[in-house]
Amino acid sequence: MAPTGVPAKRILPQKESTLFRTILQQYETKQHKKALKSCDQILKKFPEHGETTSMKGLILTNLQKKEEGLELVKKGVRLDLTSHICWHVFGLVHKTDRNYEEALKCYAQALRFDKDNINILRDASNLFMQVRNYEGAQDARFTLLKLRPTLRQGWLALAVAYHLNDRLEDAQSLLMHYLRIVKNVPDHDVEHSEVMLYYLRVLYDLKRWNDALEFIDLNVQYNSIIDRVALLEYRARVLSALGRKDEAEEEWRRLIKQNPDCYEYYRGFLSNRGIDLDKLTDEIRAETLGLFKGFCDEYPKSTTPWRIPLDITSGDEFKELVKPYLQKGLTRGIPSLFADLKSLYVNSEKKAIIQEVMEGFKDEYRDQSNPSKVADDASPAEYLWTLYFLAQHYATDPSTISTSLSLLDTALEHTPTLPELHMIKARALKRAGDYVRASVNMENARKLDLQDRALNSKSAKYMFRVGMIEEANTLLGMFTRKDTRPASDLEDMQCFPFLIQEGDAWTRAGRLNLALKRYRAVDKTYDDIEDDQLDFHAYCVRKYTLNAYVDMTFYMDSLRASPPYERGAISAARIYVRLHDDSSLVASSIPQQSVSEKKAKKKAKRAELKVQEDAKKGTGASDDKAEAPAEKKDEDPDGMKLLTAPDPLEQAAKVLRPMEHLTVTSIGFWIVSFDVAIRRKKYLQALKALRHAKAIAFDDAQLHTRILEFKKTISSLENLPSPMSTVIAEALPELFPAESSLEGYNSDYMQKHPGSPGAILGGARGLVVIRGAAGAQEDATELVFQLLRDETRLDIQTALDALQFLEQELKSPRTEEFRSACSRRFPLSTTFLSAEEQAAVRTEMEKSAAPEESKPELDSL
Amino acid sequence: MNTIRLATPADILGMQECNLRNLPENYQFKYYAYHAMTWPQLSYVAEDHKGRIVGYILAKMEEDPSDEPHGHVTSISVLRSYRRLGIAKKLMIQAQDAMATIYKAHYVSLHVRKSNRAAIGLYRDTLGFEVHELEKKYYADGEDAFAMRLRLNSPPS
Repeated sequence: MAPTGVPAKRILPQKESTLFRTILQQYETKQHKKALKSCDQILKKFPEHGETTSMKGLILTNLQKKEEGLELVKKGVRLDLTSHICWHVFGLVHKTDRNYEEALKCYAQALRFDKDNINILRDASNLFMQVRNYEGAQDARFTLLKLRPTLRQGWLALAVAYHLNDRLEDAQSLLMHYLRIVKNVPDHDVEHSEVMLYYLRVLYDLKRWNDALEFIDLNVQYNSIIDRVALLEYRARVLSALGRKDEAEEEWRRLIKQNPDCYEYYRGFLSNRGIDLDKLTDEIRAETLGLFKGFCDEYPKSTTPWRIPLDITSGDEFKELVKPYLQKGLTRGIPSLFADLKSLYVNSEKKAIIQEVMEGFKDEYRDQSNPSKVADDASPAEYLWTLYFLAQHYATDPSTISTSLSLLDTALEHTPTLPELHMIKARALKRAGDYVRASVNMENARKLDLQDRALNSKSAKYMFRVGMIEEANTLLGMFTRKDTRPASDLEDMQCFPFLIQEGDAWTRAGRLNLALKRYRAVDKTYDDIEDDQLDFHAYCVRKYTLNAYVDMTFYMDSLRASPPYERGAISAARIYVRLHDDSSLVASSIPQQSVSEKKAKKKAKRAELKVQEDAKKGTGASDDKAEAPAEKKDEDPDGMKLLTAPDPLEQAAKVLRPMEHLTVTSIGFWIVSFDVAIRRKKYLQALKALRHAKAIAFDDAQLHTRILEFKKTISSLENLPSPMSTVIAEALPELFPAESSLEGYNSDYMQKHPGSPGAILGGARGLVVIRGAAGAQEDATELVFQLLRDETRLDIQTALDALQFLEQELKSPRTEEFRSACSRRFPLSTTFLSAEEQAAVRTEMEKSAAPEESKPELDSL
Repeated sequence: MNTIRLATPADILGMQECNLRNLPENYQFKYYAYHAMTWPQLSYVAEDHKGRIVGYILAKMEEDPSDEPHGHVTSISVLRSYRRLGIAKKLMIQAQDAMATIYKAHYVSLHVRKSNRAAIGLYRDTLGFEVHELEKKYYADGEDAFAMRLRLNSPPS
């Protein structure tokens, strides 16, 4: 007897009805092929059966027949509009497509016809979490809890939804209730312990210190929170918050004992005493130093208590502390000693003291008659690490790079086999603008320890910098999977530095298609990472790891503020802007191929086909196991589709958009956002970008030219719609003084920053904005040449930018003149040489200077 | 200035970058997240003063009901320029302590490439591991692995 209200067309005879239930099981256990056969069996007799049609569609989408499957899923819904199964299936297909909003609409439909369906409610609640619709998640989980109040996890799932929905009080009372009624918890139960820690977090976030403390102490007594460190941390914080300083101090001391290298614990300890390291009076400084003296005695092997005092002392006191600190680092041969102390260099007095102390060590250690020999009573290793430190020290300032290099030569003469020395030399050369020799030296470092991937990655990075893209890939391939190309393994493994470095290399080479390919792989990977959360909404509730889950969820909300996304998005957007401005870049991105290149390409393609074949053979798709989807074919191997996408500005806006509401601290993001917005005629967005940029660095040269551009564009517009024109009219004066002219504003800017190379170049660019490239050519070129005056502190990056500006924007006839002048200005650099000249330098270097690949002698030191 | 502290989800990208820079065995974000969402107390990081992750230990529990409970180090590494500071050992000690007190682990295991002498030296000489057995063709490229173990003191009751 069929239940009432079920449409007749849905009811199957008993045999088929049983078979349909089997299909559901087969689908659950991923026996897709069997399930498909069963579907066909039913559909043969009942071709209009909606639910079977839907299931068949769903199964096909799992068997790589997406389009056919989707058609059937839609047909199923049409055949049976009131079936929750059909709507649920439609939702699942959308979910697989990452189309979460559509999936949720389908679930809502499904729930209309089966409002208490537990599976759909669960699925929906997790998707609500994924799209951050906490209200929706909370409602679905509330219903679930009412339906199954005896299920423990239902309580926790709802509590988390309350928490994320900013209803912390409700989360607290629900958890309190749960902890009261939960029974039969075994001793030493990790899961229950995690739940209690989660409850403690909620109390802590609510600042209910007394309740928190009572809860902690009760659990200390019963030993039911077994994560001792977490419990200690809470107890220390809560006692501090309550002002029970002595008891708190005891807990902070215990934590420091547990982990004497944890900076946070020392901070907690100090702040409990009312000490803020950034605001010290002399009296408190003395007290603080005394405390650290105690910690140093207690934990001699920890670095933190030795290091913090260097931050808070100065003058002789600092010198007295830094000397033994340096000495210890040199004796132990700690490569990061300089990196560790470099943060002190913002204080020029400390920088000078460190230099003095280190120079003293150098004199002490070396043989007075021969700088590459060690004094009789000194340790060669210490001498070496002293030179190593000083070389890094002098490389921070462009004017002392040659000192750095000569120290390195002495050190290398003494020990040619220490990779660190070659690495530092490479970095110093890079700073001096000699990327070619830098790369050769990094290769030398790598060759000294072929098993070390760190050296391999570094050398590849330096090769990318000089445009040796293929060579870099070959190198990277020594540590990637052998059954695929290095680039695809690295992309697979989400190696952002690689994607950015290679993208930058292709940008410099003018191959914008390949650059876009790499940059866009960055944001694609972020999509994947966001989607990775999907499984955790249910998983963490099942595993009771609620603190970890909440942390993850909050973190994911700001995920795209992380540096790789920012770098990738800004770089891609810049290319899109260039493509918009100059469509001829599409053609120039694709070099004419020589015969040998064509051959190489064919060969690569054959190799790739073979890899795919092998991969297919390898999986040996058996009938009923979980069928792994075949590796996706790359639809756009050369990035040509990206390059020729119809609306580059739209693409740019798309990659920038996810960052707009995050806290972005790089001015580059707002500059390119402006560039995109002004071209899309989104004037309010452009204004917003300028205001953000101004808040970060009000006198930035890039910002300067954008303000000019904005003012000029707005002035040329007639009849802006009214709310927009009012907003802009009100905001403009804070960017551009009402009484100024464009030319006047531009020269004011340069006068305000005399001798600043950035401002001079900014002024030259400003002229182009005001008069156009042709009109500005002469005067702007004149300005660029002012960069070469002695009183201008020209740096290599600005010189490179200026060169590019002359060449590409002004198309100035004096480009070559500027190039050779820069070459003379930076005698150590090679970056102003032509590609051929750079290649010649490299060949020369490799011929003469490669060290023997000998065994490291370090052991003897 | 470096700090050693418990890893949080916000550290995953940094751990992953550190791993890719140093080691040939790499994992996707999701695998790190799986560790963090399952054993949130076991993984630790070393961070420099700029907030960069310079070393990490990614650890888990082995859930094999036929064996006594034990922890497993999925991956541990320290950036080349941050070596000789004892960071690996400090990370390992924190993870071991958590394994023993929270999960009552009896020992910690890990795998290492047979050819990776530097790492074997670190595990054996610095961290106290011993070779338990050789696992033939453990790695995807066919290389053998040493399965190494370190007994843990039973946690204080």
